[in-house]
Amino acid sequence: MEPLETFVVESTIPEEGDAYKSIVADIITELVLGGAIGRIKVRVRPEDSLFMMAIILRGTQPTVKVSDMGSVDVTNHLTKEVTISIEQEKYLPQLLEQLWAKYGRAGVRQPERKTLILTAENLDEEVEFLRNLVVADPQKTLQSRLVEMAIRATPEGFRVRYHSMDNHVFVFAATEDILKKEWIQEAQDIATELQEDE
Amino acid sequence: MAAVLEPYIYEGGIHQHTLITELLEDLGGYLIQKVPAATEVTLVMLIPRDDVHLIEELGKKLLGKLERAPLTGTEIAVVSPTLASHHLPHSACDVAEFMRRGGANTNMLGLARGMGRRVSLSDNYERKLINEHDLAVFSFGTFADCIKNKKPKLLEGVTVPKIVAGGPLDVKTEEVAGADLYVGGIGRVAHRLRKPGELSSLDNLLEKVVEIVEKMREDLAKDPLAVLPPRVMKEIHEQIPEIFDVFSPAPVTLQLDGLRVKLPYDEFHERVENLEFDEGVRLSDMASITKSRMKNYILVKIKRESEVGFTA
Repeated sequence: MEPLETFVVESTIPEEGDAYKSIVADIITELVLGGAIGRIKVRVRPEDSLFMMAIILRGTQPTVKVSDMGSVDVTNHLTKEVTISIEQEKYLPQLLEQLWAKYGRAGVRQPERKTLILTAENLDEEVEFLRNLVVADPQKTLQSRLVEMAIRATPEGFRVRYHSMDNHVFVFAATEDILKKEWIQEAQDIATELQEDE
Repeated sequence: MAAVLEPYIYEGGIHQHTLITELLEDLGGYLIQKVPAATEVTLVMLIPRDDVHLIEELGKKLLGKLERAPLTGTEIAVVSPTLASHHLPHSACDVAEFMRRGGANTNMLGLARGMGRRVSLSDNYERKLINEHDLAVFSFGTFADCIKNKKPKLLEGVTVPKIVAGGPLDVKTEEVAGADLYVGGIGRVAHRLRKPGELSSLDNLLEKVVEIVEKMREDLAKDPLAVLPPRVMKEIHEQIPEIFDVFSPAPVTLQLDGLRVKLPYDEFHERVENLEFDEGVRLSDMASITKSRMKNYILVKIKRESEVGFTA
């Protein structure tokens, strides 16, 4: 599935749907969700005070390990030094935080931005451990960002909300009145429809 | 009869800009606001019509730019349904910026319960606060149905001219109950308005607001104010020096028919009431001075000549 291969915003008046699409697009950009969403369909019915959204996510994103962002090698057997050379800086703060927690601030030397030096007793074990250390889990933050997106995209004041997250399908409905069962069903149907597009 | 004053904005270097303010004073014009920003300065002023060319020539010599600012001396409320990220900052703040480019002083107002359709409400306090302004621009959303059927209730109780800005282009002013004007193309967006179409909608809005203000000025001219607001401002500057200690960008904000003095009411209202004019009258003879609903400021509304019987 390509990123955003389906991106539809429907409204009673088509031009208003287009205007709303630009709002949704801005929000997706702001929350950096473009790569995570495969298909998205939004339906707004202002006369019913109803907002519905279904999103199909593009599979699960893998966790980021130290080996994904750089290399871990023993650089000095005598002084028992292990060096982590970073290639992707994006998750460096998270990595540093974890290392500081384990080895203490003094135990992690950083002679320059992309090099971290640690000392360890059991070199091979330590290298293996470091390579498999999970630095970040995009999946965890994804869900909270999705909810944030739904709240931002909904017209302000539609505070009666329904949402469900099932594997990679996110369904959302919001209104300012009592949420009818058939509306939730309609939102679910949109999601089913999107899945059938394959 | 006082000279006819024309509103202008001067933008130029801060070096030697006092030459302009001195000349303005000599000509009998009024400096309304001075905004220094590093090496630049923006002067908002009222210049006697026959002498505009003098300021223009001097401005050219100083490599500055003089532009007509038709909204000078007005205070405009830009009202957004709530303070949530759905309605602010985009579009509402851009609307306010365009009003300021026209020379107006703007206040942003977010309603406490303006969100939604059926549930949207405005508060008595909010309506009274809006009514302290010369006019109000309401920034509404994308959906024609909301603008026509649900949101107009936010306009109820607002007695100043109401301009509604919204997304749909095909809504007519008559369809928005209570609005004096509807301008399309400025709906809810989540980015700063900078595309050509968006900017031209804002230009269009400014143009329409100017038309309304010009009409309000004409109506005022039929039964003129007992004293011009800029003249009151000048007297405040001379008689209440504490005004220079106020940090607000516009310590005295002019309105079409009055002014807002940003000093605490309890402490200063008597001194404002007792402002003396050369003609031997006091401000309280020509204006009603009340406590503003904005913070603890003083609101001066000047009475008409027909009511007072003379002009100062």
